[in-house]
Amino acid sequence: MAVAAAAAALAAGPSPQRRAGLGPWFAVTPMLGWLALFVIVPTLMLLVISFCERDALGRIVYSFTFENYTRAFDWKWLKILGISVWYAFLTTAICLVLGYPVAYFIGRSSDRVRGLLIMLVMIPFWTSFLIRTYAWISILSQDGLLNALLMTLKITSAPIGFMYTPFAVILGLVYNFLPFMILPIYTSVEKLDGSLIEAAYDLGARPARVFSKVVLPLTQPGIAAGILLVFVPAIAMFAITNLMGGGANPTIGEVIQNQFTRARNQPFGAALGVLLLAIFIFSLWLSSKFRRSEQE
Amino acid sequence: MTKHKTKLIVAACAGAMLLAGCEKKDETLKLFSWSEYVPQAVIDKFTEETGIKVSVENYSSNEEMLAKLLAGGGAYDLIQPSEYTVQAMIKEDLLQELDQAKIPNLKNLAPEFRNMPFDPNNKFSVPWLAGFVGVVYNAEVVPGPIVSYKDVFTDEHAGRIVILDDARETVSWGLATAGIPINNVTDENLATITPLLKDWLGKVKVFDSDSPKTAMSNGDTDIGIVWSGEGALLFAENPKFQWVMPVEGVHMFVDNLAIPKTSQNKDKAEAFINFILRPEISKMISDEFPYYNPNLEARALLSPEQLNNPASYPPGFDVTSAQLFTDLGEQASKVDELITTLKAQ
Amino acid sequence: MTDAPSLVPPGRRWWLPQGPAVQRAFFGGWTVAVFAFLYLPIALLVVYSFNDSKLNLYWAGFTTKWYGLLFGNEVLLRAFQNSLIVATATTALSVVIGTSAAWLLYRYRFPAQQTLGLLIFIPMVMPEVLMGVSLLVLFVSLGIPLGYTTLIIAHTTFCFPFVLVGVQARLQGIDPSLEEAAMDLGATPLKAFWLVIIPYLLPAIVAGALMSFTLSFDEYIVTIFTSGADSQTLPLKVYGMVRVGLNPQLNALSTLFIAATAVLVIASQVFTRKKTI
Repeated sequence: MAVAAAAAALAAGPSPQRRAGLGPWFAVTPMLGWLALFVIVPTLMLLVISFCERDALGRIVYSFTFENYTRAFDWKWLKILGISVWYAFLTTAICLVLGYPVAYFIGRSSDRVRGLLIMLVMIPFWTSFLIRTYAWISILSQDGLLNALLMTLKITSAPIGFMYTPFAVILGLVYNFLPFMILPIYTSVEKLDGSLIEAAYDLGARPARVFSKVVLPLTQPGIAAGILLVFVPAIAMFAITNLMGGGANPTIGEVIQNQFTRARNQPFGAALGVLLLAIFIFSLWLSSKFRRSEQE
Repeated sequence: MTKHKTKLIVAACAGAMLLAGCEKKDETLKLFSWSEYVPQAVIDKFTEETGIKVSVENYSSNEEMLAKLLAGGGAYDLIQPSEYTVQAMIKEDLLQELDQAKIPNLKNLAPEFRNMPFDPNNKFSVPWLAGFVGVVYNAEVVPGPIVSYKDVFTDEHAGRIVILDDARETVSWGLATAGIPINNVTDENLATITPLLKDWLGKVKVFDSDSPKTAMSNGDTDIGIVWSGEGALLFAENPKFQWVMPVEGVHMFVDNLAIPKTSQNKDKAEAFINFILRPEISKMISDEFPYYNPNLEARALLSPEQLNNPASYPPGFDVTSAQLFTDLGEQASKVDELITTLKAQ
Repeated sequence: MTDAPSLVPPGRRWWLPQGPAVQRAFFGGWTVAVFAFLYLPIALLVVYSFNDSKLNLYWAGFTTKWYGLLFGNEVLLRAFQNSLIVATATTALSVVIGTSAAWLLYRYRFPAQQTLGLLIFIPMVMPEVLMGVSLLVLFVSLGIPLGYTTLIIAHTTFCFPFVLVGVQARLQGIDPSLEEAAMDLGATPLKAFWLVIIPYLLPAIVAGALMSFTLSFDEYIVTIFTSGADSQTLPLKVYGMVRVGLNPQLNALSTLFIAATAVLVIASQVFTRKKTI
């Protein structure tokens, strides 16, 4: 799993670590407290709930059962998870291809415009998600702008159904996650040493070679971060998938959401959530183990 | 270089800080309602007349409301549950009995809404708006006649259909088509209608409960099963969007106001209920939401255009013949699983 | 890649533009195209804010009435203000927690470091509804009334990992002598962090801040469960509006916000440039 490798690369990269003294301990305490109280405690609560039952109104009944897990280990849920991961993977790949050159260009441009350009990447997303998405719908729908354009230019004679297709889903996902790829790569490009690249040119290397042998390896941490920031949240994302895809392909985030709302089965939703977390954390842990044994 | 980047952020955020205000409240009426379902003008007028301040929190499904309420999220004075939720909440003793002497305007309600099966004699709840689920189709593309649920899911319409993204609704159409009462959601009945639903869902292009009208008005679908309010908005946009009440039987939903046990401001909540039952106030609600208004006196004030919208007020339809959902309880989980599985097939 | 002995020079790839200038033009052109993609729906949104019709699809003539209605719409403006407050506070907190955590985890050895590094990803992968409901239960049992505080805590919890991951990436390959040089000059670790490391990390911090602000500004499901009556944010309003059709006032609001941000950004550019001269 490339993403797990990316996470491991970030977390376990070689660093001049020294044992934490009193000062660092003091500094790290607020963050540990935050993690413990608002991440670990809620996660443990979910774990407890996932072994509980619920009453007719959806309230948790604290009696132990394995039923939620036996129900969760079923191909149908796994298949839905598979589709979610596949969408997340495609989104990440396309974001990387689209975003890298942009991040590179912004990172290599002059100090003067760099800040401006990076703000310009983010500003479109300071509108409401639904307004943006409905704007896309008005572009892609059958009576929409794109079809009007294509038909005026006589490229097609009948409108094309862009909306409510996997194409629309991926477009929506890529659009909304692109900045989360561009920004971390940009911070890696920005610290590139220009003289290194020039030296490579002076030694007679061609641009393509400079790029693959110098630029890419040096910006690899940014790429890893970008992959993580897009792929991980994209797995559980369902609002875009629903609106752009017409809701015909349920994703894992939606299934879990439904357990907490109309299915009134919080314990089952919690069990699915715990499994999702477990699969994810396990693959991260596994690849970081791999990486460490490689290094040793 | 570093300096100007800090500036960017500071500049972008400083405005926010300046706007930040602080307000303390005490004896406010705490309304927990569907997002954007209570017109602000109604709330403002209530405050103006009574001096009672109203604070509003929003949710977007009955179950979200229940989850937050049961977790103890806030001491809400008024909530806006749908009929099956009212039924479940009465059963679980979560609602306060209304003092009808304080709500004289109850008399404005149409008689059929004074004694609904989920809450006889409005002991705990007062209807806000009601609506139906029916078929809408684009008469320019679909020749018709369309009379039933199964007319929607024909091979000619495959890939051009929008339906509500609501498992319970979908199952009820299947049950009605198979001649089974829509509240008999037993395992056997679910098994009976599974092949039918499998065929149907395979033909659906869009599942959307929030705004199914979008897919219709943008031309991506030609026919669908939607809320009557959606049908009314489409009809108002273009009369080519015809509305049909299915012959198998019509499902009606009723959204209500009710006072949860957590309320410490029962008097004020009742004053609010009485207030919205006034014809001219109830009309303000109808002006924004083209659903069926249970308030008979308010209906008299509506424009002919509003009353002649066939989705809002279906001509010749006897409301007492409509069917209501009863609370499914734990069976809700099975219904959801069935539809999710069929969608993912 | 194997470079077969041939007339084509080694490393040459026909599909990659050759020469630094060409390459620059290629990247520039690509960037323009991606910006066009990013701004296409935004341009539409601006156009619709002047459209004399509630329906997006048809142009019914120019009007500024939506702006007028917007300024009279206290509830919408208040929701927008709440969103700004929450997003700003969330951004500030996320930057502090994310940056310091990234640095400490990078620089010092703690017991169970690996586990800590993994725990950070939980809020990123956890579906919003799980986070919303579990935090709601937690806040209620801790006796914290729902409002700005709970909302900001909840938002920060899923935002700070974004800052952390970005800063971690920037820290990779940092010159260790950077900090040492400062310490040799007599700075305490804290001072060295403040004077040397923070400036070095600034681009990543800015990027993290931008991401946090965006995520918080648009969050809906977690907000439903963790907000109180005084802290209803814009997304809660917008989601309700969809049922009767999105109101062009929202387009007007978005247009104004984008315009205001753009003006602020450009102004601060001009301002700092003048100062440096």
